[in-house]
Amino acid sequence: MDILLSLGQGFLVALEPINLFWCFVGVFLGTAVGVMPGLGPAATIAMLLPLTFQMPPTSALIMLAGIYYGAKYGGSTTAILLNVPGESASVVTCLDGYQMARKGRAGAALGIAAISSFVAGTVGVIGLMLLAPPLAKMALSFSSPEYFALMVLGLAMVVLLAGESMVKALLAMLVGLWIAGMGIDLFSDASRFTFGLSELLDGVDFVIVAIGVFALGEVLGNMERRGEGTLLPVPKGLRNLLPTMAELKACRFAFLNGSVIGFLIGVLPGAGSTIASFISYGVEKAVSKHPEKFGTGVPEGVAAPEGANNSETGGALVPLLTLGIPGSGTTAILLAAFVLWGLRPGPLMIQDNPQLFWGLVASMYVGNVMLLVLNLPLIPLFAQILKLREFVLYPIIFGISVVGVYAVSNSLFDCGLLAAFGLLGYLMQRLKFPSAPLILGLVLGDAMERALRQSLMMSQGDLSILVSRPIAAGMLIVAAVLLLMPLFRRANALRVKAIEENG
Amino acid sequence: MKLHYTMLAAAFAATLAAPALAEFKPSKPVEMIVHTGPGGGADVLARFIAQVIEKENLAPVRFTVNNRDGGGGLRAMAYVVEKKGDNHAIAVFTGNWLTNPLTRAEAKVTVKDMTPVVRLVLEPAVIAVKSDAPFKTLKDFIDAAKKQPGALKQSGGSTTSRDNVVRQLLMRETGSNWAYISFPGGGERIAALLGGHVNMMVIEPQEAGEHIKAGNMRVIAQVADKRLAAFPNVPTIKEAGFDIPNVPQVRGVLMPPGVAPDVVAYYEGLFARLVKTPTWRKYLEEQQFEDGFQRSADLARFMDSFTSQMRDILNEAGAKVVR
Repeated sequence: MDILLSLGQGFLVALEPINLFWCFVGVFLGTAVGVMPGLGPAATIAMLLPLTFQMPPTSALIMLAGIYYGAKYGGSTTAILLNVPGESASVVTCLDGYQMARKGRAGAALGIAAISSFVAGTVGVIGLMLLAPPLAKMALSFSSPEYFALMVLGLAMVVLLAGESMVKALLAMLVGLWIAGMGIDLFSDASRFTFGLSELLDGVDFVIVAIGVFALGEVLGNMERRGEGTLLPVPKGLRNLLPTMAELKACRFAFLNGSVIGFLIGVLPGAGSTIASFISYGVEKAVSKHPEKFGTGVPEGVAAPEGANNSETGGALVPLLTLGIPGSGTTAILLAAFVLWGLRPGPLMIQDNPQLFWGLVASMYVGNVMLLVLNLPLIPLFAQILKLREFVLYPIIFGISVVGVYAVSNSLFDCGLLAAFGLLGYLMQRLKFPSAPLILGLVLGDAMERALRQSLMMSQGDLSILVSRPIAAGMLIVAAVLLLMPLFRRANALRVKAIEENG
Repeated sequence: MKLHYTMLAAAFAATLAAPALAEFKPSKPVEMIVHTGPGGGADVLARFIAQVIEKENLAPVRFTVNNRDGGGGLRAMAYVVEKKGDNHAIAVFTGNWLTNPLTRAEAKVTVKDMTPVVRLVLEPAVIAVKSDAPFKTLKDFIDAAKKQPGALKQSGGSTTSRDNVVRQLLMRETGSNWAYISFPGGGERIAALLGGHVNMMVIEPQEAGEHIKAGNMRVIAQVADKRLAAFPNVPTIKEAGFDIPNVPQVRGVLMPPGVAPDVVAYYEGLFARLVKTPTWRKYLEEQQFEDGFQRSADLARFMDSFTSQMRDILNEAGAKVVR
């Protein structure tokens, strides 16, 4: 009852006209920066931070948080329409979202992304509200060995992303792991694979690889097949642009799966939304009745990662607000914002500043509704972009990609890298290498290596630390089962064939 | 004829005196170069400085932040040197600018290629343990580390960070040994300590504040020259009986090479006025920074001695020092 009372007071704060206004400004800006590749919520919040000093802290926080979760809504738009991931966590959305768009279901894909984001965003807030203190304790029991096991579990997803050839998928993943190893090694301060270029000292930004391999690779591949007159079908009428009941029904489990996995992984300070979206996609595919259809444009393949991506926000606020520990770039900046207002998030925050905490929680409910209302009417508008002829559309994709990459770092070197990865994406497409495993290796490689080395330093070189802790051991077993699954399946197929031949 | 000469002489004198009389004033927005992306430590400080300058009306133009992140700070440094002779570019530097080129063969420039302007703040740190740890003092911790060499653990940043330098100095002074585990983010370092996965960490005082108040963390020593106002009862490392040099975390302002002395003097004066404003004083107090204000000449000397101190420490720590 206490919670309901507090939440009620929170809504009183969130529904004040001035706070409603700033909430809207936040989610609107968030959607806008989410749609634009490159410019992410972290940079936007940092740049707006000085402007918020004149505002009351609660209003400012409501707005900045709105940018944070609003950006997650917007990120799917370019992923689905143009195969350009708007932010890192939208890479997985490209896999099925873009294929849906190619089948004329762009509007449906955007609609499912918005609905899934809404459901998961709300679940994330509920989780934040009800479970914050106990979950924060659980997150602390997670340490390097558990993170290592989580990353291994993530990498085992390669089995599910492989497509037709496991060998090609593993090769692509190894290239991803190699790229992840570039830059300064945190432990020894030595630089690795930098070829003497200071531009590579920080490694290769994941956004560059993702945009290059997905968007540019796709455009180059399509240009080669020119002459087929592939104008993408865009059905007429609002009704045909929204998801059908059958599509929504197919997504029922995905909504739940994405929400829960995203929230739980979000709580861990060392994980992040990209990993959450990969894992929820993998889980969705693993339990699906038709896993072979994933990657050809199934609505569940959009709903799960988009949901995970959004409920991660609620999860990431748990360690920030209850422990003062930021788990990602964006929450680190939110923490800086708190500090500049003289507030210190931490174990005492909910007690000391109930108005602020509950006002923020309530505003997130309001903001999620605003985002849904804001995004659904935009879908028909966005879907029109696919009506453009190729000679207009492809230069637009090229332009957006280059601007997006340049916006991340203001570096022309990175634009050169983008071109290189575009070519790599094109070659991989020609040679039928799947690109998702490459991205998977790149996302997880760094964190996995770090967790392994940290674990071994903790145990003074004893490998048993990796399997002697129950959570870590459990995740490693699941990973092993995942990896061995194709072998079982093949053995079973052979057995069935043998029985048939004999019989 | 005589008159003619006098006129010439007067004209000559006027041209000589002109630069001294016409004091430099920026005529267009001043670019503040930082080596982190938006939200990084240097970026937040630069944006705060820009805001104070505007609010207190300290300069006739706006100050805008230019994020040149990447390359572990080297990209921003190379960019500053490229701006040779630019009177409208300043850079907010940190200790990393002095340390990183020492171990990075890729570095093409060092701070010696730039013009020192002012030193602004020194960031102190504290040594913290979990509140239920058996160590009540730094001596307790070091004695335990001596008993089981390598068994105790400290969480921190990269090997060249201050956290590790303090550890190296303490281990050398006392002949003890404990492990150093690198985590990329400050949040992960704290989580490792609070979760009981490591035993100790070097942490910024305001970061530790809330965890101490909540009873999760205990401070056993301060990495500072004198005790901080917030921790009147905690000894500095020296007071705790360990005679190691203090390792300051420094932030300040540099300019590109080849700027005229009057331009440097202008910015020096601007920051001298900035550090006297109440907004700045309040900021230092809230962040628990030490006022480290130094003018150009002192800063140049500080940078030299700091660099050579770091070179020795890194050599001893076994890092590959390239210059």
